[in-house]
Amino acid sequence: MSDTIPRTAASGNTAAAIARPGSLYRMSRQRSTIAFLFALPLLVVIGGLIVYPGVYAMYLSTLNTRMNRFIGLGNYTFLFSRDTFWMVVEQSCLFAITAVIFKALIGIVTAHLVNNLPSKGQRKWRGMLLIPWVMPLSLSTLGWRWLLDPTYSAFNWLFAQVGGPQIGWLSDPMWARFSAILVNVWFGAPFFLIMYLAALKSVPGELYEAASIDGATAWQKLIHVTLPMMRNIISITVLFSLIVTFANYDIVNVLTAGGPRNMTHVFATWAFQLGIASGDIPLGASVSLFMFPILGVCAFFILRGVRQRGREI
Amino acid sequence: MTAVTADTASIVKGGSLRRSRRWALITSYVCLGLFAIFFLTPPFYALVTATKSTEEISNQNTSPWLPSMSPTLSNIETLWTQTDFPIYLRNSAVVTVCVVAITMVIAVPAAFSLGRMKFWGSGVLATGVFLTYLVPDTLLFLPLFKVVGSFGLLNSYWGLVLVYPTLTVPFCTWIMIGYFQSIPKELDEAALIDGANHLQMLFKIFIPVALPGLIAATIFAFTACWAEFVYPMAFIFTSSQQVLTAGTITTLVKADVYQWGMIMTAQLIAAMPPLILYAFLMDYYIAGLTAGATKG
Amino acid sequence: MKTTTVSRRKFIKRAALATTAAVAAPYMRTSYSAGKLTLGCWDHWVPGANDTLTAIVNEWGAQNHVETHIDYITSVGDKDLLTASAEAEAKTGHDIMQHRAWQVQVHRDVLEPVDDVIDRLVKDHGPIATISEYLAKDHHGKWKGVPTVVGSQVKPCCSRIDLYKQYCGVDVTKMFPFGDNRDKTLVDSWNWDLYLTTAEKLFKGGYPVGLPMGQTSDAIDWVGALFRSYGAVFVDEKDNIAVDSAETRAALEYAQKLMKFNPPDVYAWDDAGNNKWLISGKGSSIMNPPSAWSVAKRDNIKVAEQCWTHDMPRGAKGRFAPYLPFYYGVWTFAQNQSAAKDLIHYIVDKPQAKRQVQASNGYDLPAFKSYYDFDTWKTVEPPKGTVYNYPPRGDEELSITGYPARPDVAAQIYNQSLQTVMIGKVTQGGEKIDDVVKWAKNECEGYLRS
Repeated sequence: MSDTIPRTAASGNTAAAIARPGSLYRMSRQRSTIAFLFALPLLVVIGGLIVYPGVYAMYLSTLNTRMNRFIGLGNYTFLFSRDTFWMVVEQSCLFAITAVIFKALIGIVTAHLVNNLPSKGQRKWRGMLLIPWVMPLSLSTLGWRWLLDPTYSAFNWLFAQVGGPQIGWLSDPMWARFSAILVNVWFGAPFFLIMYLAALKSVPGELYEAASIDGATAWQKLIHVTLPMMRNIISITVLFSLIVTFANYDIVNVLTAGGPRNMTHVFATWAFQLGIASGDIPLGASVSLFMFPILGVCAFFILRGVRQRGREI
Repeated sequence: MTAVTADTASIVKGGSLRRSRRWALITSYVCLGLFAIFFLTPPFYALVTATKSTEEISNQNTSPWLPSMSPTLSNIETLWTQTDFPIYLRNSAVVTVCVVAITMVIAVPAAFSLGRMKFWGSGVLATGVFLTYLVPDTLLFLPLFKVVGSFGLLNSYWGLVLVYPTLTVPFCTWIMIGYFQSIPKELDEAALIDGANHLQMLFKIFIPVALPGLIAATIFAFTACWAEFVYPMAFIFTSSQQVLTAGTITTLVKADVYQWGMIMTAQLIAAMPPLILYAFLMDYYIAGLTAGATKG
Repeated sequence: MKTTTVSRRKFIKRAALATTAAVAAPYMRTSYSAGKLTLGCWDHWVPGANDTLTAIVNEWGAQNHVETHIDYITSVGDKDLLTASAEAEAKTGHDIMQHRAWQVQVHRDVLEPVDDVIDRLVKDHGPIATISEYLAKDHHGKWKGVPTVVGSQVKPCCSRIDLYKQYCGVDVTKMFPFGDNRDKTLVDSWNWDLYLTTAEKLFKGGYPVGLPMGQTSDAIDWVGALFRSYGAVFVDEKDNIAVDSAETRAALEYAQKLMKFNPPDVYAWDDAGNNKWLISGKGSSIMNPPSAWSVAKRDNIKVAEQCWTHDMPRGAKGRFAPYLPFYYGVWTFAQNQSAAKDLIHYIVDKPQAKRQVQASNGYDLPAFKSYYDFDTWKTVEPPKGTVYNYPPRGDEELSITGYPARPDVAAQIYNQSLQTVMIGKVTQGGEKIDDVVKWAKNECEGYLRS
């Protein structure tokens, strides 16, 4: 049946205007047509603004440096032979995974804490904790840059007052990595907070009551009631955040520009340096797309799981 | 930390032991206070810095954490009267409002279609929509420049209106799909029997029921557009067309001179519109996300 | 007028010889009453510098009945690179685009040859700096960009007169005086060894020099000059990797000693780091265009009064000043190519160049030695003559990091900040020099990929 739908798409338009209970077959066919029409603008946007440029970007990644010859996966075989590339892979993973874990943890903890407050105070706390997320990241990172500035760091000023150590927030490679992750967590945690808070509120109270009657401890309730109920939202937020964090450019670019000693470069900043600054666009595109298949496969299965669970409810 | 939280939760639900409940509440406040300090330090620091003159900012003998001894409004005044900041603010507003509207026009029917109705390939499409975030904007801007150019919209904020939906439509569609799916099936069957067509059904039944989800999606789209940085950096060269994020940086950072006082002021002003929007819509937002994403 | 006609004719002849028939027809003033030209120019940080350029371009537009429009595009956030790459990729955008040093090579396939403009300029004003030529000529020997006045910069020392006198007994104003009466022995004494001893004294005195060691251009530039004056070549003109040499090791060892006398946070400095260091009064010397001095003049006049811009230290293989020229390029897809070229010539021609240098307070350094006699460098103060020695006046040679490798390769040595990373590995990371050289060799192999 499904094969017939595209063909009826045009003619189904008028027939679909008024749907009356008729033969089940005709109705479902009309339904598909309308459904397709409803999704058409989405298809146009995705096709024109994401798939076409995306495929073009993939095509770019198969060209040589001067972009006049097709070399297939040549850019990747070259990259795989480079130490710096693997260092960037390592750093990107460290950066993205650590940041997402901390974002998720802080999100869950703060969501629980806020949820336990009397409802009167909740709104105020929620508003306050959400502020990092509403500040445009490019500007707030610049603010962080000034907080962590080598000469004028306000944190170091505080430390100096109490005779503490002066930390090279951005000059010491380990601290620089820490700083980049810190800013990302600071910016992203509120998003998790708000998603989780919403999810927590949706867990029916009866479930907890039932668990209490069964003599479950608080920990058991968390593990057996709260987390399973939040499974979908956790998957989606983590997935979304992971993808976005892997692609993040602003933070590292503004804070450290990849230094010191390339030790804070992530995919986006290194790709920029290779592609735009050094003029090897195909190589830069290859770096940008390196995670595409890995994340793509993960995402597909996670999302399918989420959708299936969604349908069961 | 999690254990404490869970503990608190159980005690609150049980509500039998009043004293330990009070302690739990105090613990909650203390913990939240610590998180709030973490979250609010940069904005606070921005506020303090925004009240200082350039000399005072670079003077290391006074505390960087304390508000200025002689607070100045010169930063905001200069920003407002001598730079193009008001223009950026207006352009950002225009772009954001348009994109949010476009996003909704695209995402809502599509989500309705993918969540409630089915057609050939709709399952794959629903999943695939999300995957579009896998091509980062730092790469996408190259081919998109071509697309924008072919519409003759280079160096115009309408070009941004054209490309921003790539950032918003997929996630919003996802939230809305989940939301529509959570609405009981009986509702549309009843409507169909009453002789409503799908469009009527969408507007008369589904959108009102899914309004919170719609608001949640709106807020997400708003934030994403408001904060986007790479596209305006690449597509806009003229001040009169520039938006807030890129404009602030290109105006207030001149080669190796950062005008910190004004940057901090701009940062705070830029945070205002989304903050105000959130304050009003927060409850809807929570409710919207609740029903939307969990079931999604 | 006559000379121009001749050079144009010469150009036509050459264009006819070249197989590329697409090369623009000769520009004829009368044919363009309703033309339009758009320019994407670097957003100058000096207030007022943009206005002067706009005025110059408008003048030309009025004389030639061409409507002109300039967009000033900042290099902050690499906005200029983003925009130029996008335009090159989409084959649409401005007619004339200003490019930073390496970007002419990056975009050479979509840039029109501008040999005719260069020929006219060279005929009138003498030779162009070698580095400018190296960066602008493509692999067929054609010029793809005209060196600008605006934005082109050199990064010599900018030192505090008082601190050098007090802690080192060195009078930089005597060594590099205001005027052409240099004392050769004094000038010769200003080498990297003396720089090291003075740096140590200044460090002990509590006013260290501030040499950035991050991954932005200020750091990459001075380090490149250091390596070159030690004679270290990373990759030569014929693609041979030459980094594994005694010279490279010597430079690294020197850097190891020198970095000890810098503030520890130089590894995180961006291009503003050294400026702030000098302006704050804590620093005794940096390597930068006179922008730091200019800002000090505004924010901390006491520091500005003691600033003296002067030559770089000399090494075994010479004295090198890191030069970062900018270029005007005409896209192959630009509409009004011949008008564009004429406009570029007008902008870079000496009378207009003089106004631009004046508007930038002497920051801009044109590629023609014959332009170094502009008044600006003699008149701006305090102190009197502070930037007189900003243009190389003695044995100083202009250089760029990565030279003399093929520009494609050198661009990567430069942009991936190979040299500063090497020094960072040795000094901050405590790695062995041999290992670092080996690592650099491997990196260079990667850069040679075709």
